[in-house]
Amino acid sequence: MIEHLSNDLIVDFVHGELEPAADARAHAHLVTCATCTSEVNAERTLREFLRDAAVASEREMPSGINAAIWEQIRAAKPGPFAALTSLFKPMIAIPVAAVLLAGGYFATAATHHESPSIAASYYLQAHAVQSSQGPLSERTGAIRAAVAEAYDGGYPATAAYGAAR
Amino acid sequence: MGAPRAPLEPPTPEQSAFLERAMSQYGKATYNFAFRLTNNEADARDLTQDAFIRVYRAWRSFEPGTSFLSWIYRIVTNLYRDELRRRKGRFHEEIPEDNAPQAFRGERPLATNPIDDYVDRQIGEPLSRALADLSPDQRQVVILADIEEYSYQEIAEIMGCSIGTVRSRLHRARALLRRLVERAQQQQQR
Ligand SMILES: [Zn+2]
Repeated sequence: MIEHLSNDLIVDFVHGELEPAADARAHAHLVTCATCTSEVNAERTLREFLRDAAVASEREMPSGINAAIWEQIRAAKPGPFAALTSLFKPMIAIPVAAVLLAGGYFATAATHHESPSIAASYYLQAHAVQSSQGPLSERTGAIRAAVAEAYDGGYPATAAYGAAR
Repeated sequence: MGAPRAPLEPPTPEQSAFLERAMSQYGKATYNFAFRLTNNEADARDLTQDAFIRVYRAWRSFEPGTSFLSWIYRIVTNLYRDELRRRKGRFHEEIPEDNAPQAFRGERPLATNPIDDYVDRQIGEPLSRALADLSPDQRQVVILADIEEYSYQEIAEIMGCSIGTVRSRLHRARALLRRLVERAQQQQQR
């Protein structure tokens, strides 16, 4: 009596998420089993339909969004220490800034400041080449810890999504 | 929109360039992702806007060489989750008639490919309704796995959960989707 592939295993198989050994076993079973083969085809078809439906229903970004974002940024007033703390992010900003303020060295510090940024927009441009290959997905390998950092790391909670809704 | 809790600093030229480029290259993808999550235009708009404000604030922590889309999807995911929690329920899920995707209104002038045509008429609508019936977490896993074609590992990182959780959410969501779609197809055949 042959044991069929479970539905869950078929989902993982169709998504290419089985370990090599399990993947090989699944392949071997599929060669001989019409029932499981038709299950696999059904899962593949669903996947194609989902993707096609997504492509068909793609929307343009409403034009007002860009303007609203810039508006929000322009309208923002910097806090009293914002300029200073941003200069010294790699250091412990507040104590250093306080010392400098006390010593009246603010102007000197500002002229010596060098932006630590690499031309990040350049990298975005490089990414665009990859992302333009497919309408929906961008295949670029691992996401690093930066993802988490951007959300949690050091930045006060942002525009508090929908706070005043 | 609420006032930011912390003041936004005025943009440096580099920061502005970064944001400008991010919006022009990834704005549409981000908006569509937000729309698929929330199923309505107002929330998708707010989510997109807030996500890019966060990108603006955190632009220095974007690691060159990593995927910007994964980064902003993670940001959208977190904002969406915060908002769900805040509202203690679902986003208002409706597709206003005016803004319904063209494909679902039978108005697409030319079916460029027979599959699209088939999808639109036969399964597109039941499918989008079935997607809307999933829980937010299940829907997001399906969007990321089947539409955006991320790996389980990448989805786990975007959603901030374990691979096991991704796997079980996807299994449940797919089983549900298949049942919903099969039922819709049977109804159409009658
Ligand atoms: Zn079998």
